[in-house]
Amino acid sequence: MISRGLLWLRQLAARMTGRAEDPPDPEAAREIFEMRYHALRLLLAANTRALESMAAMERAAADGAPFGMPFVRSHCTAVGVSVFKMVRNLDILAPERYTQLFDRLEDIRRQIEEALAAHPLPTDAPLILPMAGLGKGHLDVAGPKMANLGEVFNVVGAAVPDGFVITATAYEDLIAANDLQPEIDRLLLAHQTERLDELFALSSDLQNLILSAEVPEHIAEAIDDAAARIAQPSAGSTYALRSSALGEDSAGASFAGQYQSILNLRRSHLVPSYLQVVASKYTPQAMHYRLQRGLRDEDVAMSVGCLEMVDARSGGVVYTGNPGDSEDCNIYISSTWGSPKAIVDGRFASDLLVVQRTEPHAILKNEVGDKATQFVLHHREGIQRADVPPHLRLRQSISNEEAQKIAELALRLEDHFGTVVDVEWAVNTDGEVLVLQCRPLAQVSAMARRPLPAGTPPPTVAGGVNVSPGAASGPVHWVRRDSDALLVPDGAVLVVEEPLPRWAALLGRVVAVVAEQGGVAGHLATVARELRVPAILGAGPLDALTNEMEVTIDASRRAVFPGRIEALLVPPGEEGAIIDTPVRATLRHALRHIAPLNLLDPDGIDFKPANCQTLHDITRFCHEQAVREIFTFGSDTAFPEYASKQLHHNVPMQWWILDLGGGLRQKVTGKYVRLEDIACKPMLALWDGMVAVPWDGPPSATGRGLASVLFEATANPALSSPFRKPYANRNYFIISEQFVNLQSRFGFHFTNVEALAGPRPEENYLSFSFKGGAADLERKAARARFIGDLLAELSFDTEVTEDVVTARRTILDHHDVERSLRVVGYLLMHTRQLDMIMADRAAVAHYGAKMRADLAQFN
Amino acid sequence: MTISVLLVDDEEPFVQTLAKRLTLRRFDVHTATRAEKAFATLRDHNIDVVVLDVRMPDLDGIEATREIKASYPLIEVVLLTGHANMESSLEGMKIGAFDYLLKPVNIDELVYKIEDAHRKKELQEEKIRRLAEKADEDGPDE
Repeated sequence: MISRGLLWLRQLAARMTGRAEDPPDPEAAREIFEMRYHALRLLLAANTRALESMAAMERAAADGAPFGMPFVRSHCTAVGVSVFKMVRNLDILAPERYTQLFDRLEDIRRQIEEALAAHPLPTDAPLILPMAGLGKGHLDVAGPKMANLGEVFNVVGAAVPDGFVITATAYEDLIAANDLQPEIDRLLLAHQTERLDELFALSSDLQNLILSAEVPEHIAEAIDDAAARIAQPSAGSTYALRSSALGEDSAGASFAGQYQSILNLRRSHLVPSYLQVVASKYTPQAMHYRLQRGLRDEDVAMSVGCLEMVDARSGGVVYTGNPGDSEDCNIYISSTWGSPKAIVDGRFASDLLVVQRTEPHAILKNEVGDKATQFVLHHREGIQRADVPPHLRLRQSISNEEAQKIAELALRLEDHFGTVVDVEWAVNTDGEVLVLQCRPLAQVSAMARRPLPAGTPPPTVAGGVNVSPGAASGPVHWVRRDSDALLVPDGAVLVVEEPLPRWAALLGRVVAVVAEQGGVAGHLATVARELRVPAILGAGPLDALTNEMEVTIDASRRAVFPGRIEALLVPPGEEGAIIDTPVRATLRHALRHIAPLNLLDPDGIDFKPANCQTLHDITRFCHEQAVREIFTFGSDTAFPEYASKQLHHNVPMQWWILDLGGGLRQKVTGKYVRLEDIACKPMLALWDGMVAVPWDGPPSATGRGLASVLFEATANPALSSPFRKPYANRNYFIISEQFVNLQSRFGFHFTNVEALAGPRPEENYLSFSFKGGAADLERKAARARFIGDLLAELSFDTEVTEDVVTARRTILDHHDVERSLRVVGYLLMHTRQLDMIMADRAAVAHYGAKMRADLAQFN
Repeated sequence: MTISVLLVDDEEPFVQTLAKRLTLRRFDVHTATRAEKAFATLRDHNIDVVVLDVRMPDLDGIEATREIKASYPLIEVVLLTGHANMESSLEGMKIGAFDYLLKPVNIDELVYKIEDAHRKKELQEEKIRRLAEKADEDGPDE
């Protein structure tokens, strides 16, 4: 028992050193140290987690791979929580001193959430907008499809079916009234939409969720009233519902065939069918498409067009240019009997007419297809497949005059919209041409054919239509039904009979598409072009292609060759730049408040909480202060057992050791700690690396050997100390059983090494930074790059700015951390004088080779 | 020493699977799919760590955390959520949640969080015990 007198003296002493709170018994001291160490450990783990999330976000922003908003939101949340934990644990280490950081975090959180927020809809938009007066001013409530159709009618003056839009406001009301959004978000977050089986399951859950919703009374009434207003009093009018989702126009996205249209509906069925069209926001192909194109789910409000149903004699699609060759500006018309559905579904033979752009619009080509099947209106409701009467099968489905009329109409639309267009049209039983849809045509340039290498075997398949140019190679995978689709391996060549729009869900993973049927105007063809997946459609029977057979498809040649023919493939890197999609743009906006590091110099006067502008700044500040607090506390403690001690190795060295717990083999009460007393494996590994290979580089300025290097470290602290804080004026190791933090200055060189090598690989890391030197900045910077290169070769994430190298490795087994620590220890010793020789290329090469050889021993 | 964990989530299959996996990792696992049962378990057992879904039909996770921290200040709460939302996650942390994890949960990560939360509780308990003993020793002098 400590006598009362002694206790009183200690308390007095504690009060005088400003630590009156210190409970003066060893048991309490142990507890305090353990608590502080635990707080530090939690802070470091949170730091690692935060840095990792930031790195994942930065990679995603820089890479071409697609990702969705759930990725962005979950990483932002993870970083936010991690940073909060750092601030909270710093508050345990330094109570009440940095509480301002909580406010900074809150401010930055608000900025990030502003960057993530969906575009708000105009607040007072009506539920219904009639065709009269509809135009591009309504893009944000009517969606581009219906807004464009309104322009076609109201500005261009072309004929369109009468109709109205059920606006995005109605959609928002529907979702809000049924409180669907939280459940939708939860389902989206819980599934990996990159996996096809999950995508299909998720799609079905989400569609069921929407189908089970109630359309609010006021929306149902508004739809019914609007439909009644456009109905012809005499005829039993029917209607078509067509999706017109917001966000379809972003990033030049066509959204061809992603959503559902429902044709020939009676008025009484409009409301339940409306729900079905809304639910088609979550078809697998639409979700996949949004992911691939980087579109934000929350920006896609489903507004829906309701049009009077046209009884089409003939229908089709016209392009004011060749979609597969942006140089070719003739007019391409695909046409068939009945509804244009037969063409956009891509399944049935049709006619192709090419019309000259300039007057008198000569017919340059007319390929008449054998049109066995057409879609016609069912007499009660819906649309049905029917055989084309035998005498019409081989007859051109529109006259040449009609073709020229359609071409002229399309050119007027092109002129109005200022871009080549893709127009869906119908000719009704009175011979009148009606526009059903008009959107910009995504054209790709024809790719130069690469020469066939000598000895190439003859193609297995030849012919068909090049709907998306390019070449690719992979194993054949046939998809005949949905269950085949689930088994498509990455990198396969997709082979199908019918190019159905729903196979668009596979385009992110296959390298090419070949189909027996179909043509240039189908939805799948449009999406393949957008995603730059080479495709040949209408190639005829493909029995010669069997599963797993390796083939090379060259769409530009309209041929499929056996085997892999490298010479035909586009070398990587020629595919073009990464498109800045809406999701990527959102991520970059959010990252502005997360990733940049402004607090660079821990000894600068601006290194304070008020100057933390990003989450990275807060992590940097917390980490630095936590380590300082730990060290200062350890240096000032009244308990010798817990105080920092001088390292004694043969002689007393200018190194101090602070043990946080478990770093020493036994209690050390004296002034010195011996190397043999150290139990901290990561520190021993670092030390091993420092002394493993004798120094034989350029002579040090003082001409002394390695032993003196270790002394020299603090030989003249006043000379060039980059620090103003007294704590930093010595070299120290903060250690525990699994943790080491080394701060040191070798002459002009400032070094920090920190590592955790415990049983949790996810939390382990090694970080390293090095700066300074005695040479001029140019040579110091050259040395920094030299070290950076060496570390990068050793799989460190490395960053070099001027003369500062920082490097980090994460997710490592503790053996790997220890191995890497030996490497770092070696580099510390062997690069310190190299700034002096950096101007001498031969010397740099010599030491580079020697160091790589030495380092090979450590691995 | 076995760490005793209470899992609270309205999704029965999720709770059962997670309980099984945590039991394999040698935790003493209790479960509840309703608020009432959760609070009864807290009353009747010595729980170290509560793993709580933020959004349940009959329970607001944030409110529940507040209540747990008020009645049992030493018990640590790890929040789970299927909703990635910065504001509500930081709100949960502010009222004293130990951590906030997004579903789908990585089991190793959850185990670490539970261990860390338990360690924090243990340290607090030691401190309280020592202060209590000290108060006993000092008693006669005051």
